Amino acid sequence: MTILGVPILSLITFFPLLGMLLILCLPAARIGAIKWTANIVTAIEFLLTLALLGGFQATASGMQFMEQRNWFLNIQYLMGIDGISLLLILLTSLLTFIATLSSWSAIKDRLKEYYAFLLLLEVGMVGVFVSLDLVLFYVFWEVMLVPMYFLIGIWGGERKLYAAIKFFLYTLFGSVLMLVDILVLYHHYGHTNLLTMISSGSRLAGTVQLWVFAAFFVGFAIKVPMFPFHTWLPDAHVEAPTAGSVLLAGVLLKMGTYGFVRFSLPLFPEASYAFMPVIMVLALIAIVYGALVSLMQKDMKKLIAYSSVSHMGFVVLGIFAMTPLALKGAILQMVNHGISTGALFLIVGIVYERRHTRLIAEYGGLSARMPVYAAVFLIMTLSSIGLPGLNGFIGEFMILMGTFPVSWLWTAIASTGIILGAAYMLWLYQRVMFGKLDNPANQSLADLNLRELCTFLPLIVMAVWIGLYPKPFLTILDKPVENIVRLVHPEYYNIPLQKPPTAVAPSHGAAAGHEVK
Amino acid sequence: MDLARYAADLKYLLPEMTLLAVAVIAMFVHLFGGRPGRRAAGLVVLAGLVGTLWLLLFAPTAPGAIYSGALTVDAFALFVKIVILVSALLSVILSFRFFDAEGYESGEVYYLLLFAVIGMLFTASATDLLSFYVSFELFAICSYILAGIFKKEIRSAEAGLKYFVLGALSSAIMVLGMALVYGVSGATEFSKIAAPALQGDPRLFTLGMVLFFIGLFFKVAAAPFHMWTPDVYEGAPTPLVAFLSTAPKAAAFAVFIRLLVTVFGALEYKWTVLLSVVSIVTMFWGNLAALGQHNLKRMLAYSSIAHAGYMLIGLAALGSRGAMAVLFYLFAYLFMNTAAFGLILFVQKKSGFGEEVDDLNGLARKAPLVSAGIVVLLLSLTGIPPTAGFIGKYYLLSAAVGQKLYLLAVAGALNSVISLFYYFRIGRAIFMESDRPERVLDVSGYVRAVLFVCIAALLYFGLFPSGLSFFATLAAPR
Repeated sequence: MTILGVPILSLITFFPLLGMLLILCLPAARIGAIKWTANIVTAIEFLLTLALLGGFQATASGMQFMEQRNWFLNIQYLMGIDGISLLLILLTSLLTFIATLSSWSAIKDRLKEYYAFLLLLEVGMVGVFVSLDLVLFYVFWEVMLVPMYFLIGIWGGERKLYAAIKFFLYTLFGSVLMLVDILVLYHHYGHTNLLTMISSGSRLAGTVQLWVFAAFFVGFAIKVPMFPFHTWLPDAHVEAPTAGSVLLAGVLLKMGTYGFVRFSLPLFPEASYAFMPVIMVLALIAIVYGALVSLMQKDMKKLIAYSSVSHMGFVVLGIFAMTPLALKGAILQMVNHGISTGALFLIVGIVYERRHTRLIAEYGGLSARMPVYAAVFLIMTLSSIGLPGLNGFIGEFMILMGTFPVSWLWTAIASTGIILGAAYMLWLYQRVMFGKLDNPANQSLADLNLRELCTFLPLIVMAVWIGLYPKPFLTILDKPVENIVRLVHPEYYNIPLQKPPTAVAPSHGAAAGHEVK
Repeated sequence: MDLARYAADLKYLLPEMTLLAVAVIAMFVHLFGGRPGRRAAGLVVLAGLVGTLWLLLFAPTAPGAIYSGALTVDAFALFVKIVILVSALLSVILSFRFFDAEGYESGEVYYLLLFAVIGMLFTASATDLLSFYVSFELFAICSYILAGIFKKEIRSAEAGLKYFVLGALSSAIMVLGMALVYGVSGATEFSKIAAPALQGDPRLFTLGMVLFFIGLFFKVAAAPFHMWTPDVYEGAPTPLVAFLSTAPKAAAFAVFIRLLVTVFGALEYKWTVLLSVVSIVTMFWGNLAALGQHNLKRMLAYSSIAHAGYMLIGLAALGSRGAMAVLFYLFAYLFMNTAAFGLILFVQKKSGFGEEVDDLNGLARKAPLVSAGIVVLLLSLTGIPPTAGFIGKYYLLSAAVGQKLYLLAVAGALNSVISLFYYFRIGRAIFMESDRPERVLDVSGYVRAVLFVCIAALLYFGLFPSGLSFFATLAAPR
């Protein structure tokens, strides 16, 4: 599929770069032109990614829209997407558009650079999701860091310098380990083409695979972020400008879990299986610990940042449960978390822009002054805590259902995260929205204007759509998820249909539990 | 072995001969041209460098060993010579800006630099202990003078003296090493040493190798023989530091690779360990020491030590395309280092240049385009894509992994993270700190031009590395 002669994946990856160059050519004084250009570019980019749906075959197995060219040595410029990447690309382009729109009045200083970095960030984010060559993936992975560093460092809060370099150092630490891993894989396979690596059937030998898996794991876990690698997250989130937080939570965190799904599971199936208990424990710690810490926060952004640790714990739990149901739920939950947490950061950004404080104690009774805002906030709160009928429920429910056959104990512990999640989110809502409007500074707060409402509408629509009718989203995940589970957990497919239940050999007894669906 | 034969071999030396002629012409222009003659000497040298580069690129001689194997003209030498010449070329342009700003012109800088270049070109093709040592000392002595040439500045004199004393000491150690190697083997030609040396006393041969290496470690500023670097780089005139931190390393690494492949090829199991250890120590020492620096020149001095450490990874892993990785990295390093020192010349204060990190504060508002370029430079120095620095580091680490030197690869990778911290102090100053009005930016265009060339090269070879990779693979000795 090509548009104007350009293959579509290259087009959606590099179109924002074009927009960035355009913005750089505009004179800095033409504020209006810069804003409009950025918004139009991100809007067109979103439409271009929607165009992917036109040619996408939901039931096809394997990668689509493939592009393949030699880059240097045995490294290829290899792009392609499946259902997993498609969902995340759509999420990315939607959230970038919303983030750009939300910056309209929030950013007043150095607009030209701001929008340029935002668009460069989009290049990196989309590039990560379309790359199927490890080195190409790594390049985009790193390209993403720089604009985010500057977004936090220039337009951030009081401790922006500290937060920016901390974000950069943590992530770079993870990624250089990944680079060494990529090199080990390169010397094993002789190339870095992910698809050929998987289909060749050859795997790294025992111990090496464990080490390489562990290093990849650290790289991705920092990004997720998983306990105990999460400490950069609250700083980065709190100090980042609203658009930065939205993209950080909405997209950048997904890169870690995407990495698990795309690289860790298929390339290192044995090691994934071996590390499963450790990762599960870390995920459970993240779920419970993140929720407990959220309960104690005085700062709204920090609260939502820690809630991300908890929610992403669910995603990791679902991925490493290695059942199709849990894995599908985890991927859907990645999208859900992008929608609801992205929206929550926008919500905090709205009042921050008006009051320049994020402290919960500064607010109270806002629903009286800002009814529309209150409604939006409520919907997103409910989406975040997983109320049936909204998107969060579907994802979490599928993860828990899919994890239950693996271990009822893990599922039980994870469920407490949902209860705690309801507690901190509803308590937050209560403290900010209800009660007396007694702070004089809040008396004259304006409700959402049309532009702000527009930033929320698509997210609300998506939240309700996924909550009520998730089937189209799950359908495109079927094949890719099945492919992954076949690699990493083949027993799952061996038992149910081919043999009658009585014929299950005793040695498969442990695996037999997984067929419960 | 007759005169006619030697005369015929001269055609291989056309680039060196051209440079020698240009240097002599420049000397006379300087001597008899009065004050304007000083800059004119610079222009003559510039033209000579461009001409020689043209000769090398578009009219290369066929490869071959000349003068009974004393010199070898091959693709490997060609690659290194290009690095050296480009480095000299950019430094001469930077020197114009430097002497303009200082209100002082020194004609002798230009032809001394050219003599140093001639020495380095010979070093790159040297394949005999004697021809190597003579050319090595030619450029070494010229670089001592260059470091101390800025007579107005006391730090420059200190730099020259320090460089000379320590350099002479290391040369002496190296000569001792060469003597031992000769004593064991009875041969001076690189390709003829190994066979007889292995029949001789292995301990003497190894000792000779280690002493020989020490001299080279000194030249490439590898720990623990790097102590002179920060002082010399801080004191010497900045445009010459751009040259002294790049070209001598290229020449020294060229000899290093030739030695490892031919003379000490049989001792690989020994030097792999030695070079790995030195590489790890150098990387960590350079990067950790740079963390505490606020003076840009000292910071860059430590950073160049760290980069020498990265390139030593390639030497330690020579068996797995390590030489190619070093060549690629040298090429990238040339542009990185020249741009980094060019940045210092970009900012001028009331007294001298902006040598402190703080002097860059708020540069992004004044010079957005240059600042954007500096981000590319910092990424390249750190080894982050899409820059030539990343591709170079990728090749180096790849070589290490290919030789199963995992620890070395991990150490190299982790050092990227350490270096990020101080490199991005520069990025922070430029983009995130508030403006500092009392400074003038380069108006002459010399620095802008050099920065533009360097950064364009870093981006180009980061995005499209296949051509250069191919050339480097071709040039790497096997």
